[in-house]
Amino acid sequence: MTPFERLARTPIAALEFANTILTERDAPIGTTPKDVVWTHRNTTLYRYRNANRRYAVPVLLVFALINRPDIFDLRRGHSFVEFLLDEGYDVFLIDWGVPDESDDDQGLDFYVCDELPSGIRETLRASGQDEVSMLGWCIGGTLALMHCGLFPETPVRNLLLLTTPVDTSGSLYFNWTARDSFDVDHVAQVYGSVPGRSIDWANKMMKPVTNYWTTYRRLWQAIYDGESKPEAHQAMARWVADNPPFPGKAYREWITFMYKENRLVRERMRIRGKRVDLRDVDQNILVVTAGADHIAPRQGTLPLLDMVGSEDVTHFDRPGGHIGLMAGSRARKEIWPDIAEWLGERSDR
Amino acid sequence: MADKPNQDGAPAPTPEQEVRRLYEEAETRVARAAERVVSRDSFGELLAMVTENVVALTRIGNEAMDLVLRNLRVASRQDINRLTRALGRTEDKLEQVLQEVEELRDELGSSQNGTARSRSGGGSRSSAASSRSGGTRRSSGSS
Repeated sequence: MTPFERLARTPIAALEFANTILTERDAPIGTTPKDVVWTHRNTTLYRYRNANRRYAVPVLLVFALINRPDIFDLRRGHSFVEFLLDEGYDVFLIDWGVPDESDDDQGLDFYVCDELPSGIRETLRASGQDEVSMLGWCIGGTLALMHCGLFPETPVRNLLLLTTPVDTSGSLYFNWTARDSFDVDHVAQVYGSVPGRSIDWANKMMKPVTNYWTTYRRLWQAIYDGESKPEAHQAMARWVADNPPFPGKAYREWITFMYKENRLVRERMRIRGKRVDLRDVDQNILVVTAGADHIAPRQGTLPLLDMVGSEDVTHFDRPGGHIGLMAGSRARKEIWPDIAEWLGERSDR
Repeated sequence: MADKPNQDGAPAPTPEQEVRRLYEEAETRVARAAERVVSRDSFGELLAMVTENVVALTRIGNEAMDLVLRNLRVASRQDINRLTRALGRTEDKLEQVLQEVEELRDELGSSQNGTARSRSGGGSRSSAASSRSGGTRRSSGSS
């Protein structure tokens, strides 16, 4: 580019940059057609439409409480849901909804003992099967794991855990929240439900320069060079900015049980008075970790491999971050096919 | 501008490319430094203190706002939350009823099927027996 071309390019690039940022909220995400199967309180169970169901065992997707589950179905051509449907799976999704202050009484037990069993039950009813594969991501993985440890008779055949925190010691969150000066009870009590924005802010502060500057600098560079894919940036930006509140009791328990007391790995996790015994987790298990995961670092998930009672445990470790692993541009070629293959071997046709 | 080749045969970077490379290098260093800062104990303490202050301010604001609304005889957020919780409890009870109904329906269905089979003299078939596939192995794959 000549200096004159560069000069002429700048205002156009600036306009395009502004347009990309300002219209982020309009980006279509989570567009794969689906039907509501069941609702309770804020929770909704969806079933994705698929005329090409080849595997008998349905797949139930469970995401974290701190972001929306649209990341499973980010955008056309880059949707894990779409991929699973093409592979022939019957896909269900539990959406925890958007809680508010009136949901501050919902603790982890509500999700593990009420909503997950109900979601599984309704999945089985809708699919006409007697077993299900459960795929949990991030906190969703921990909830799914706790569910299987708490209910050994659960009809979960395959348990897939993606970037799931288990042993939190040594993580950055541990450093921030496990200290006595961080009064989680006070935060939960005042807010009722902890604002999603503040949790998003904390997540971003883990890599402040990357999240607050480099992302936008790279976008500018790509637009300036004429190589930008605004739809990719917008879809991810919209998902990242959509932060539902964390119900107060669940937040308090999550921080206390998982970070302040690290109960799961110490085998002291009790939900509704019953101990979560990971030796009772005897499902076929796939654990996926990401090499550059700063939220649930690999070393915090690995202890799980030796703690569960299952005899069929597979571990995939891939490069990528906490979300990028599954939603990044390389996921479709690098990790999704491996997951589908693992699942296919364990899902009757 | 014709680039003079490097010793390894690759074209020499243009000044613009060189500036960009230097900038990106600097940015990466700053990003790493920032990550080191946020992982320090002192930053954790700072964060805890900031959180405490924000929470305290929020509480004062909420209480003041609730007081104003109550004195205006308008339902405050707390009042609405109380109502929503009551609705939630009602929905929980309905969900329990739904589960009971579904279980009864399943039982009724299976007993009717059993009756039909015994009438037709058909053999029995265990319905809920589950088989695990995938064998017994522990493996670790990484790339």
